[in-house]
Amino acid sequence: MTLMIEAEDLCKKFRVTRRRSGLLGGLRSVVNPEVRIVPAVNDLALKVERGEIIGLIGPNGAGKSTTIKMMTGILTPTSGRVYVAGLVPMRQRRELASRIGVVFGQRTQLWWDLPLLDSLHLLRHLYRVPEERYNANLKRLRLMLDLDEFIHTPVRQLSLGQRMRGDLAAALLHDPELLYLDEPTIGLDVVAKARIREFLLSLNAEHETTILLTTHDMDDVEMLCPRMIIIDHGRKLYDGSVAEIRARFGGERMLIAVLDAAEVAALPRGDDGQPRLPSLPPGVRQVQADGPRLWLSFGSAGSSTMPAHELVAWLGTRYRLHDVTCQEPEIEDIIRRIYEEGLLLKNL
Amino acid sequence: MQIISWRAVLHDMLLYRRLIALQIRAQLQYKINVLIDIGTYLAVTVLEFGALLLFFGPFPSLLGWKIGEVALLAAIMSISFGFAEMAGAGIDNFSDTIRRGEFDRVLLRPVGAFTQVIGSDFRLRRLGRITQGTIAFVIALRLLPNLHWTAAKLLILPISIISGAVIFISILLLGATLCFWTVETTELTNMLTYGGREMLSYPITIYSQTLQRFFLFVVPIAFGSYVPTCYILERPLPFGIPSSVAFAAPLVALVFALVAGIVWSFGVNRYQSTGS
Repeated sequence: MTLMIEAEDLCKKFRVTRRRSGLLGGLRSVVNPEVRIVPAVNDLALKVERGEIIGLIGPNGAGKSTTIKMMTGILTPTSGRVYVAGLVPMRQRRELASRIGVVFGQRTQLWWDLPLLDSLHLLRHLYRVPEERYNANLKRLRLMLDLDEFIHTPVRQLSLGQRMRGDLAAALLHDPELLYLDEPTIGLDVVAKARIREFLLSLNAEHETTILLTTHDMDDVEMLCPRMIIIDHGRKLYDGSVAEIRARFGGERMLIAVLDAAEVAALPRGDDGQPRLPSLPPGVRQVQADGPRLWLSFGSAGSSTMPAHELVAWLGTRYRLHDVTCQEPEIEDIIRRIYEEGLLLKNL
Repeated sequence: MQIISWRAVLHDMLLYRRLIALQIRAQLQYKINVLIDIGTYLAVTVLEFGALLLFFGPFPSLLGWKIGEVALLAAIMSISFGFAEMAGAGIDNFSDTIRRGEFDRVLLRPVGAFTQVIGSDFRLRRLGRITQGTIAFVIALRLLPNLHWTAAKLLILPISIISGAVIFISILLLGATLCFWTVETTELTNMLTYGGREMLSYPITIYSQTLQRFFLFVVPIAFGSYVPTCYILERPLPFGIPSSVAFAAPLVALVFALVAGIVWSFGVNRYQSTGS
């Protein structure tokens, strides 16, 4: 496997001139500007292999966009090295542009007043796609993204989901090896989101397109990205799988067991007057009870405590188990705790 | 600087044609709207022209220039400026492109930024001014019945109109470049474009020598209107310049455009290092 993206010690510092207030202040700002250096990306190292799907997440202002801009050649790094598809983005921007695709979820690259098909046709010329390849790609994308129902409609009349499908087609006409997606599912309904994700997965499977996406939707990451990178304050905080971060920070999982009502009524009571299951296996705690429903917390995935299926079996041999559901800790919660409590900062 | 590849230039020109064709098609979706726009613009510019002619009610001539001669000058200026306004609309709107963050998208495509920016708009309504210029040209010819036409004089017309338009578009490009530093630049550019057009609708000899030099040698707008008009009217140019210099208009326009282009690419580089 070859590297699609390789970044080392990548830094971007912005010079921000602060305007002083008032007329005199304004004059002083011109003569003697108050310049602050704001680091947006700090010593970022990143290796992405061909064919990977990677989720880049982080709170607003974490440096995700700056990173992507440096990797596309829009922005010059202050220091450090970055190679994308073997090219130096800044020096070979236009060559790189014909080998990558970029979709901004909040901004379309389609021509607002024109039918989708006209935009796609124009992009063929902007990217110099040979006619045969264009026709083949268009045919395939029309099918995969179901474009036919609205391909003759002016873009301004499309729904957000349709427009997103149109934008994906627009970014893929020239067979890019690498696709950057900036919040590809933002504002979409559940069905439209699922559809976009499904498409990205098959694109990656069939064409080995490397996909790097930024998102605030952890479902995107869970469903699409075997690997995710968390950035905050311009630093990489985490680089690994979703499952691993869950195991490290997710804490405990929850098993909700529905027992027989009569059986629960016969259970001994705890200090709070609620029914309690006696002599639970080590590592398992009863958290809550509500009628026949009992909440049992147990170890996180991969830890040494009792696995879920054994806990269910344990319950099944002792009680008349009606139903069980297992709740993973919400990844959203974990990520929020990582941002707010700086859980990963001590690793640095 | 990169070496110019003719194939790339040809490709960019074909692409420009496609971009413009698309813009026109989009605007023609609302035909009546476009017609009203053109009509309104025609009315406004005809009024401007009328105001110019009214001057000749009390005064029969302006520094020896008669009404028909000034009308000819203003007509050539209007046509030239009209083309620049029409084709340069994308550059004129560049501050919006920057403000909306659309310039990032421009840099993400394997085509030069200039081609994409100038191809991003084509304002059909500016046909109003070109129409006004044509009408003014006909009126000028009626007022100048003794004007002697030669092949060279006929040739100088398209040459200077196109050169003048290129110079105006270059001014717009310089103004657009300023947007990489600060977004509030439209007034500065307007001063040179609209102000320059307004001023050079009169013979430049009515202005101070500094201004005359400015419009001849620094921002050479005079080469699109005053210089060719003097050639057609067989009038001498200031500073003892030979009137055949009118044929150098394309060269002057090219040099000015080249300077604007270099400044522009400097601005693009600056954008890439600051991201704003």
